[in-house]
Amino acid sequence: MDDFTLMPWEKVGPQFKKSYKRAGMLVDLDSCIGCHSCSVSCKTENDVPLGNFRMRVRYLEQPTSASISFAPLLCMHCVDAPCLKACPSKAIKKGADGRILINESKCDLDEECVKACPYGAISINEDKGVAEKCDFCEHRTDVGLAPSCVDNCPTDALIFGDLDDPESRISKLAAKRKAKPWKPEAETNPSVLYVSHDKWMEKKVNTGVQLDPADEDVTYEQNNLKK
Amino acid sequence: MSDLTRRHVLKLGTALLAGAFAPVRVSAQITPAVRDFSKLGRLDYTKAKATPTICFSCTNHCGVIGWVQDGIVRKIEGNPLDPNSQGNICSKAQGMISYTYYPERILYPLRRVGKRGEGKWKRITWDEAYDELTAKLKPLRENGVPEEFVFHYGRDKTKGVTKHFTNAFGTPHRLNRRSICSSNRRAPLMSFYGREFEWETQDLENTKYVVNWGGNPYEAYQGGLFMAHRLQKARVEDGAKLVTFEVRPSNTASKSDEFHTIMPGTDGAVAGAMIYTILKEGLENKKFWERWANYPLADLRKQVKDYTPEWAEKTSGVKAADIKRIAIEFAKAAPSCCTMSNRGSAKHYNGMQADRLIRTLDVLVGNVGKPGGYCLSSLRGWSGKYGQEGLPKLPMPEPKASSPKPWGIGEGFNEVAFKKLPQEVQDRVNGFPDKWKKKYYGELATPSEYPLAWHWYAMRVGQLVYPYIKERRQKVSVYMSFTLGASFGYPEANVVRDVLQDEELIPFHVAIDIGYGEQTALADMILPEATSLERWDHHSTNNYGLIPYTGIRQPLIAPQGESKTMPQMFRELAHRIGGGMEKHFTYKDDESFYKDWYKNLPVTWEEFKRRGIWQDATRPKDYELYERPLTATELEDTEVKDSLIIKSGKPVGIMKDGKAVRGFPTPNRVINVFDPIFETAAKAVGLPLTDGNASTVPVYHDVPEHVNLADDRYIFSTFKWNVHTQGRSGHWKYSAEIIHTNPVFMHPDTGKKLGVKEGDSVELSVFRPKGHTYKGGEEGVMGSFKNHVRFLKGMHPRVVMCSHHVGHWEHGIVGSTANQETSPDAGKSKELTDSELKRSPWWAKKRGGIGGGVHINDALPINPAPLIGGQNWYDNVCKIEKVTS
Repeated sequence: MDDFTLMPWEKVGPQFKKSYKRAGMLVDLDSCIGCHSCSVSCKTENDVPLGNFRMRVRYLEQPTSASISFAPLLCMHCVDAPCLKACPSKAIKKGADGRILINESKCDLDEECVKACPYGAISINEDKGVAEKCDFCEHRTDVGLAPSCVDNCPTDALIFGDLDDPESRISKLAAKRKAKPWKPEAETNPSVLYVSHDKWMEKKVNTGVQLDPADEDVTYEQNNLKK
Repeated sequence: MSDLTRRHVLKLGTALLAGAFAPVRVSAQITPAVRDFSKLGRLDYTKAKATPTICFSCTNHCGVIGWVQDGIVRKIEGNPLDPNSQGNICSKAQGMISYTYYPERILYPLRRVGKRGEGKWKRITWDEAYDELTAKLKPLRENGVPEEFVFHYGRDKTKGVTKHFTNAFGTPHRLNRRSICSSNRRAPLMSFYGREFEWETQDLENTKYVVNWGGNPYEAYQGGLFMAHRLQKARVEDGAKLVTFEVRPSNTASKSDEFHTIMPGTDGAVAGAMIYTILKEGLENKKFWERWANYPLADLRKQVKDYTPEWAEKTSGVKAADIKRIAIEFAKAAPSCCTMSNRGSAKHYNGMQADRLIRTLDVLVGNVGKPGGYCLSSLRGWSGKYGQEGLPKLPMPEPKASSPKPWGIGEGFNEVAFKKLPQEVQDRVNGFPDKWKKKYYGELATPSEYPLAWHWYAMRVGQLVYPYIKERRQKVSVYMSFTLGASFGYPEANVVRDVLQDEELIPFHVAIDIGYGEQTALADMILPEATSLERWDHHSTNNYGLIPYTGIRQPLIAPQGESKTMPQMFRELAHRIGGGMEKHFTYKDDESFYKDWYKNLPVTWEEFKRRGIWQDATRPKDYELYERPLTATELEDTEVKDSLIIKSGKPVGIMKDGKAVRGFPTPNRVINVFDPIFETAAKAVGLPLTDGNASTVPVYHDVPEHVNLADDRYIFSTFKWNVHTQGRSGHWKYSAEIIHTNPVFMHPDTGKKLGVKEGDSVELSVFRPKGHTYKGGEEGVMGSFKNHVRFLKGMHPRVVMCSHHVGHWEHGIVGSTANQETSPDAGKSKELTDSELKRSPWWAKKRGGIGGGVHINDALPINPAPLIGGQNWYDNVCKIEKVTS
């Protein structure tokens, strides 16, 4: 066994922080097996209440085949973030590495951001009285850890890194696997890119990250059955 | 409700969501001692402490890192040092936090005060609990009837601690649920490859081609996570191909390169036709087969001569051309190809033989033990005997207690217990071969009608335990259930509940568990166990990376409330019962016990705890172990007899080309494609030799009740979701949020035929099986339930399926989707709270949601496969009627 001076989990602290120009994520739907590890890990990490989601794995029946496709959805950390523009209290800002952050102390529950987001990535945390969404686990990346979903994906379907560094793993994979944004017609320039997703999925996910009675998911069953 | 909040709710617009998102305003006035698990805020990784341990949320047991801040376990991540999981985990790992801090967890010993099952409890002290248990257990030993103490577990990963206790006590009744799980698939493996190899470890990271019959490693499978990440990497990065035969669009089927729907119970036909094709095309590995299989190729050719792909298409519905093509692709990929199968093929009346046919394919193309092929690494991993030379032995440190005497007539047998058995049973056992007489321990432990369940080792037939107690085949004085959910999850769970309710049949039931479920609700005493985050366990399992390793489960926090570990409970009980038992329990505390268990590891205890895992990664992978020459030490004092190398009367190797090699750990050191044991067992129990289960060679035979299946009859099957673990996880809040219902999944065409739409309610009524099994042939509906319908195009049109995890009426506010807490107050701690669990979850009917699913397990017939006893979960014939009212 390797003689680690430090165990991998001991390499945690501000000194291990990696700096990115443009933090981004690649979601490889070929590798994803729909295990929900990312989303449950996210809930545990961020104390996300039942009924709210920073991330959700969608189970979508393929229109022309017998199989089910899996699509983890989260905040796309758009370069042209509609939520940021929509917030009247300026509680949403762009971080140094381009990630989109909600300043909870400034949030006054206008919910304009919820309406503005084309991906359903923002929800209202009624307990805390704030809007919340994915922030690429800032508290983890600040100490050198990857976002929780990335570290807890068992099939390497989520890759986090610097999209502006052509030598980074994420940039190379994005180029090689022809990664594309989800719903490009929203024209928000997302920093989360997808491999192997189809147009029909974008249509079928409906609201996106949050629950909606019109969801056609196989999981998260609600009172949504076609009558 | 604030205006803003109201606006938000109105915007979303439905009654359901008004319920779902109505605000929860819980007073912030909480005492510092009370920990609210939905108000902890984010973890600070610079302050938190990371400790490696082993996950307990399913059968995989991945190495994990637990992060603890302010004395609370906040997060579980993978341990990159674990060579099996390679640092990966699944959603269920976080479930350990859910169950450890579930506000309705039982943390104090309880004694029932009302009638059994009435739900009235009082808190007692451990002293009182031990005193009462001792008063009940001690006389059983003193009166020479220790077997009247019956210990029955659902999941026991103590690696021998419970067996140590039952042996020291003197009872053979350490019962399990092996038959519920996997005995039909383990038997073919042990027949082929020997006791050490009851589970395979395909070399998936190097494979090029996998053919999968009803295995679902991407969701639920022993070793599934270890397989999934390797196979996905092989597929996505190296272009390996995965072909799956399934009845529903499981995650594995959905991710497969080819997914063929197949008629349930016909997997063996497809495998048979693949054997036929490979032989016809001359693609077999003749050299490997002749060197290692015990069955002439010419005989195999004759055996499969009618298994044409066209015949298999008629039987299974899989296109002949596909079967032929897959067989050829598989054989051409050899040796970097392998089969995979699990419950889909095995949990049928013909499942044992189906798996024998599937296993034959690997031998035929000679991929056994090869890189990318069908590899075998000792199941017992670290402590195993085969292929593990040079590794330090890790024996449990306590003075060993001898096993109880087998039951029978003559010196060295327990005649007293034997003579209490029904005459018919005594007669059957008296006719058994000697090797079985020496393994016979009565009908609960070793049911005489199912000798293959205990021929290789004691696999038990769990689903017959309760009917047998009901038939008074065994007197029970003290019944101890441990992490067992039989009264919810066993087939005909209503029979389990009837027996557990009957104080004549079960005079005293003590349940050991971490929480309050359907099983503990029917106990007389509940003892709270420390969870996997609060205790120690020895861990070893076979490694899909093919190099043995071991790991340690260690406590991240002290047991909460008054919960205790099993070793603690057993030590105390053994000393109170006395009579020699105490001599086998010498340790004062858990850590020193586990420390000594690992004392032979070439690493200090502190370093082992720091890493959580130990492996000698310099060892070669377990490829082709059977070709490894015996060492000089191994050859000492051996003799060669008919090419077998014998040491102290036991075969340890085989001569091949003049060299002494290890061979396989079977009695003849080769692969037993032919095995007379099936016929021997059939003769011993009176199963007609015309029944396919009796066949000495792998054979396809029909599931009796599926023959000429009427048009209005369907096969009802069950399945597991990836976020749940049996019936144990219904109260894990984040798992239940994802899967809280179990609709009847069917093909849209099936719905059309039945005149039902999605969301309609149907009544599903199940009939008993027709083969040689428990109540086989009994007419009429045996059980039914109502549930709503969902359509999936990937369903086989003759199959309807429900998952079996949900529909709880216990397990508290999340598990039962009740309106308020349901577990007894006397057992709970006031210090544990979770403000969002102060009321029912958003999917509860009370809040306009869809509800918590339907309990279906009363409508699944007890259906043990002949000889082996594995539950045929997936054979059930049913009718379906639309519920109009």
